Amino acid sequence: MTPINISLLLFMIGLYGVISKNNLIKKIIGLAIINASVVLFFIAIGYRESGLAPIMSRSEAVDSANKIFVNPIPQALMLTAIVVSISLTAVALALVVKIYSKYKTLDVQKLYEE
Amino acid sequence: MLNHLPILIIIFPLSIAFIILLFKKYIIALSTFSILFSLASLLKFAPSVYKGQIISYHLGGWPAPLGISLLIDSLSFFFALTVLLIGMMVIIYSIPDKKYNHNYYFLLLILLSSMVGTIFTADIFNMYILYDLVAIATYLLIAYYQHGVALKASFNYLLMSAVGLSLFLLGVGSLYAMSGTLHIASISEQLPEIFAHNPQIIIMSLVLVITSMGIKMAMVPLHGWLPDAHSLAPSPVSAILSGVVVKVGLYCLIRLIFGLFSTEKILVNIASHYILMVFGAITLLFGAMMALTQTDLKRMLAYSTINQIGLILIGLGFNIYSGFEGALFHVLNHALLKSALFFCAGIIIIKTGSKKIKELAGFGKKNPVVAFCFVILSLGIIGIPPMNGFVSKFLICLAAIEAGYSILALVIIFASLITAAYYFRVIQIFYSEPIQPNSNLPNIDVAENSLFWDKYFRLWPIYILTGFSLMLGILPSLGLSLIRPAVKILLLNIIK
Amino acid sequence: MKNSRIIRTLAQKLLPFIFLFGFYLTFHGHLSPGGGFQGGVVIATAIILLTLSYGIKETENRFKEKHLSVLEKLAILAFIFLGLLGIFFGYPFLKNFLPLGQRGCIASAGLMIPLNLVISIKVAAGMTGIFYALVKYRGEI
Repeated sequence: MTPINISLLLFMIGLYGVISKNNLIKKIIGLAIINASVVLFFIAIGYRESGLAPIMSRSEAVDSANKIFVNPIPQALMLTAIVVSISLTAVALALVVKIYSKYKTLDVQKLYEE
Repeated sequence: MLNHLPILIIIFPLSIAFIILLFKKYIIALSTFSILFSLASLLKFAPSVYKGQIISYHLGGWPAPLGISLLIDSLSFFFALTVLLIGMMVIIYSIPDKKYNHNYYFLLLILLSSMVGTIFTADIFNMYILYDLVAIATYLLIAYYQHGVALKASFNYLLMSAVGLSLFLLGVGSLYAMSGTLHIASISEQLPEIFAHNPQIIIMSLVLVITSMGIKMAMVPLHGWLPDAHSLAPSPVSAILSGVVVKVGLYCLIRLIFGLFSTEKILVNIASHYILMVFGAITLLFGAMMALTQTDLKRMLAYSTINQIGLILIGLGFNIYSGFEGALFHVLNHALLKSALFFCAGIIIIKTGSKKIKELAGFGKKNPVVAFCFVILSLGIIGIPPMNGFVSKFLICLAAIEAGYSILALVIIFASLITAAYYFRVIQIFYSEPIQPNSNLPNIDVAENSLFWDKYFRLWPIYILTGFSLMLGILPSLGLSLIRPAVKILLLNIIK
Repeated sequence: MKNSRIIRTLAQKLLPFIFLFGFYLTFHGHLSPGGGFQGGVVIATAIILLTLSYGIKETENRFKEKHLSVLEKLAILAFIFLGLLGIFFGYPFLKNFLPLGQRGCIASAGLMIPLNLVISIKVAAGMTGIFYALVKYRGEI
């Protein structure tokens, strides 16, 4: 089970949560799982066999002595994607707070009937 | 300063949005000034874009495959012009309403600047980030009045749109893993050799991109959020959602399919060809038939949007010159017509206080000018000759016969007949006598809700947009000369 | 949310160290993992810890919401201004025009330190604002 397969499996689990759970908070948790699985996918793409963490050391000689580093670009892209995921969760939670204050229930079946 | 204009078009409304939130004074003057500045800077590029010159701007000084770059060619110029024009009209329309405070203008300016940013960027990950910003601004604008039903519609839209954007990010990731860059032109150069080794990953990312952009622009199995979201939002927000935000998804689809995936002929000529045509036809018929049964005015207009997007998808699926011409011209026409229709619906709802079509009887006598504009605009969407809708529908039907699918021309004409049915039903109710002569059309005093010069600020956007539509219909060469350079970009990779 | 005296004392004593750690992450963003966003979130965590142990009223007396809101908007305008500063000298937007230093020192990598600082202030103020909104109003605006 490579990390890429695990990330796609997590995506399916998150999608199951968004679609078939009846509570609104559980749907938001499913959304957070989906975003986390995409982050895992990107970082798994950038992995190289027996590579080191992409941090420069203080001198040139230590760095260029035939070392393999993992790809740092997907990690930088995922910093931005994590920020986007957090703001999406914040907006969704704000909407759920207002829905609860108007309807006094968080159950999707009861909300659908009103 | 002049060669830094591409980034200033995006940054200036963004910084004015934060200044509005900080100072809370001179809101209307600042927002109008910022959109006028962006529009004027965009028009400055018009002569050089017509000659076919591509203007690119590299952020941070890093050259093309390494850094983010902005790309203004005729396709992105055309879409950005539509966005800023309709955005200007929406800001003018929402001036006289006292309920729109600084939060509304802040969200509107962020929406407009990130839409222009999505259209200009030439980097697929940057496109995802800015498109997510567009989506967050729309979730908050739909739920602006905080009624219960609007909050539920916005939450529904949030779930579907967030899943769609995560699928888009998976597609972007697969492309990056195979090619090593994020720049669209660099990936399209490497695509033939990647396709020779692993065709499965390229097909997977094509499917993910089409699905995610299908959620955002309401192709039929994925359209469930659109009727609620567009009908329960405030009226100027509905106008900009139906007119322009849906088209940004269409632009991303066009840029990725015809700009990136098209270097491998098999993907465009066989796969997306059939997908776009079949789903376009299903969307066309579905939108038309559902709109026929609606009793709510704005919901009917929302299903009509689904109808026209299906038409544009059919036009794009033919891969020949007149098909692209008709589809892109219909993008412009539908933006103008549908925004003006939502503006009219806003005035109708304020003046009569009800959203149901049955209760609007006699509106033609009460407010003849708005009813007459509604008649002209609906003739445009149905596709009757002096209007611009006729030109674009005719071009798409012509392309259908030229490509050998004459049955699709019959389907388009059948859907136009259904469109005529549901628009004419509304117009007939406008001009008929009310059943109980005294109880319909209560005289609602609108003075407490509006600031000043109610008539001017609400009616002039409708007149300007109707005037543009009539002008584009009588002299279609004005519009087509705007579109021909854009169509050349689409054909560039297919003819090769 | 009145907790025991042990938690309140410990949170009050730990607060400066968490702030220090947040600023350490921010300023060493170009040398080790970290940067503006991570440092800002750690600083916001400090204020959230204070809220959880003392209650929202007392925390808001110290870290007022109006000040945080103004700080957030000034920070993003400062970011855009730093990007536009390069334009006045003739470089493209957000180009690294300050002098690069030696490899491995803090004072290297030109424009990244002011940008990291500004972003951490904005993220800290933003996260704290979100937390205040979700705790204070409880949906009854």
